[in-house]
Amino acid sequence: MNFGFSEEQREVQNLARQIFTDLVSPEKLKASDDYAGERFDEALWGKLAEAGLLGVALEEQYAGMGFGFTELALLVEEVGRSIAPAPVIPNLVSGALPVQRFGTDEQKQRLLPGVAEGKLMLTAALMEKHNENPASPRLTTAVAKDGGYSVSGTKLCVPFAHRAERMIVSAKTDNGVIALLVDPKADGVTLNEMKVTTYEPQYEVALKDVSVAAEDVLAGADKGAEVMQWLTEHTTAALCAHQVGVTDCAMRMTASYTAERKQFGVPVATFQAVGHRAANCFIDVECLRLNTYQAVSRLAGGHNATNEVQIAKIWAGDVGHRVSYASQHLHGGMGIDRDYPLWRYCTWMRHNEMMLGSSAKNLAALGKRIAAGEAYCQ
Amino acid sequence: MKVEFTPEQEALRTELRAYFKELMTPELTAECNRDMGEGGGPLWREALLKMGKDGWIGVGWPKELGGKGLSPIEQFIFVEEIMRAGYPFPFLTTESVGPQLAEHGNAWQKANIVPKILSGECLIAIGYSEPGAGTDLARLKTTAVKEGDEWVINGQKMWTSLAHFCDYVWLACRTDQNAEKPHKGISMFLVPTSDPGWSSTPVVTLGGVRTNATYYDNIRVNDDALVGELNKGWKLITGQLNRERLSLVNCGPTQQLFNGVVKWAQETELPEGGKLIDQPWVQMNLAKVRAGVEALKLVCYKQAWAMTEGNLEMADASAAKVYGSEFFIEVYRALGEVMEQMSLVSEHSPQAQEHAARVERLYRTASIITFGGGTNEIQRDIISAAGLWMPRAAR
Ligand SMILES: Cc1cc2nc3c(=O)[nH]c(=O)nc-3n(C[C@H](O)[C@H](O)[C@H](O)COP(=O)(O)OP(=O)(O)OC[C@H]3O[C@@H](n4cnc5c(N)ncnc54)[C@H](O)[C@@H]3O)c2cc1C
Repeated sequence: MNFGFSEEQREVQNLARQIFTDLVSPEKLKASDDYAGERFDEALWGKLAEAGLLGVALEEQYAGMGFGFTELALLVEEVGRSIAPAPVIPNLVSGALPVQRFGTDEQKQRLLPGVAEGKLMLTAALMEKHNENPASPRLTTAVAKDGGYSVSGTKLCVPFAHRAERMIVSAKTDNGVIALLVDPKADGVTLNEMKVTTYEPQYEVALKDVSVAAEDVLAGADKGAEVMQWLTEHTTAALCAHQVGVTDCAMRMTASYTAERKQFGVPVATFQAVGHRAANCFIDVECLRLNTYQAVSRLAGGHNATNEVQIAKIWAGDVGHRVSYASQHLHGGMGIDRDYPLWRYCTWMRHNEMMLGSSAKNLAALGKRIAAGEAYCQ
Repeated sequence: MKVEFTPEQEALRTELRAYFKELMTPELTAECNRDMGEGGGPLWREALLKMGKDGWIGVGWPKELGGKGLSPIEQFIFVEEIMRAGYPFPFLTTESVGPQLAEHGNAWQKANIVPKILSGECLIAIGYSEPGAGTDLARLKTTAVKEGDEWVINGQKMWTSLAHFCDYVWLACRTDQNAEKPHKGISMFLVPTSDPGWSSTPVVTLGGVRTNATYYDNIRVNDDALVGELNKGWKLITGQLNRERLSLVNCGPTQQLFNGVVKWAQETELPEGGKLIDQPWVQMNLAKVRAGVEALKLVCYKQAWAMTEGNLEMADASAAKVYGSEFFIEVYRALGEVMEQMSLVSEHSPQAQEHAARVERLYRTASIITFGGGTNEIQRDIISAAGLWMPRAAR
């Protein structure tokens, strides 16, 4: 049992924190508010690549640093802390990790070095209408064709599909679920812009008889569900890590603001009701952090982590919700003033709360596992 | 970062679980239930002595002090397992006062008290609260006055739990009436309950648990009884409370209760067909408890780990105490709801169900630790100040 960070982990954290502190500012974030500009910072992305951070969890043979999921999650936490306009989760967690874990040598050679160098982007299409379980696609189907597949269906809220070289798409076949690497520029693919609360570029991806060659099959029907489950659990844990960063920063912003802001001649932080609501956030964020680290650590160690990931996501939803409204409330009007940085954090807390299953949904799923005798306390 | 037990720690857990299974005979379990989960009976004492002899009480203590030389994590695993087994472990003595004495005690205390704590032969009650001194503990009035080589102690304490079967009271006394601040005039003493000037009367609480009012009438002790430096007792008090907090919110019993209720709900048939656990609302309640207890477990383990590293943060200790104490109350509600009205049927009733009857008692005892062990309002003050650097109002 070790809750401390190794030397390398601390280096990853510090390096990331330094880059985001230097290059992310409210002024820069403002540039993409209301979709005025694309929420993607080329210069920042280049810097992350240069520092090696885009390849933090990729093997050295693919130009990576050769660390694991824990180090990647620590990078994601820093993305959250700064709400940097950098698609680290879609690209590195949902995209590159499954390719590295399940892809063929050829796929890895073709895709991963570009990811590490920041020249190539991957993403994953995880949502369908009323279906947020990527391991069980219902509205996307595929049939075998020329050694590969022909796939049709519609996915929603796919981040950065317009920049992706390939996106991971799961589809239903007669023999089971498959996972494909689909080229967003291929014939039959239509990308329709969606406007969402965080201003992240997201697309509705319509697939009509899209041909996917054999070399772009990530997993056939024997393994597709397993691959998508693995991808989902890692992405969920990463969302939790992002939420740790976002909530921790919003809470600390609230603590500093209330320590400065005076009413009745004293800092508002000195009112016990104010201090206690902030203290509740502190407890919440700690619970989220520990559950997230546990899920990440188990995934990094290759252990079964289904219960731990679900529990972490329940906390990510609840804590995001509570910290968001406590922070807004304790700031008074300033909390929602668009000239003060808090409000953007609130949209990301909401994003992390809802994506890949809310607290209610995960509680229901955990409840089912409990009933089936799969979630006893050890 | 590796949030999982080492193979050695897993092995220790397995060993302890088997050990306690054997230790907790039906007779001992019955006696503990009779004593409201407080202990003090003859079989309870016998079991404590056995644990001492087998070297478990000090599993995480340094070898020089008579322990097994493992870390606070192993010590926590031990306490978790013993509490899980349903044995009312005297953790105030072993986990909070004991380590304070080992660190700050004088030669006599180190030679005579500490070894007896580790062998299960010495029990110590906490004497802080008084009728007029609760949260504002520094206003306590019990006095110790030096007369020649002796200290003469007079006063009354309130809520001195377990004192009716303890050997000593870890007693906070005023030793300087003129200190610039009230907490700077307090010293700690170890006062024997065998002294003729010591007496107690029971105070019975909602949970049925007995605590005591204790009286100190011209009790004379010498310097052997003084713990640490004169007028420096406040640090010993806060140090003891910091250690106590971790034991108060131990996750073992809740995990055990949760597992028990799940098994019971899986087996329980509904008259209309199907099992109790098939109902969505039951699953929802169980899932909430399960997600909450996971956090409690991690909060506890992190503290045990931080103690091993020697960097236990004040805000973290307070956060654990607030979270755990308030979560327990929600657990008893959620599990009580699952067991419906049977969770109001007491263990003294022939119709009682095991887990439901436990919840019937637990919901009545649950509030004690939201205000005891340092009230949660003060803990939240500590968290916002020490954890978030927020200024706080002068008191
Ligand atoms: C079963 C039981 C066992 C106990 N065992 C022991 C024991 O072994 N040894 C021992 O010494 N004591 C023991 N206690 C006493 C316990 O520590 C006290 O009850 C506790 O310190 C609170 O003091 P009080 O009851 O006087 O409440 P008060 O201090 O009068 O508090 C009443 C309310 O006011 C709130 N309050 C007080 N001050 C503030 C503030 N500054 N800001 C905000 N809110 C505040 C409190 O949080 C509480 O909600 C025990 C109590 C019980 C019931």
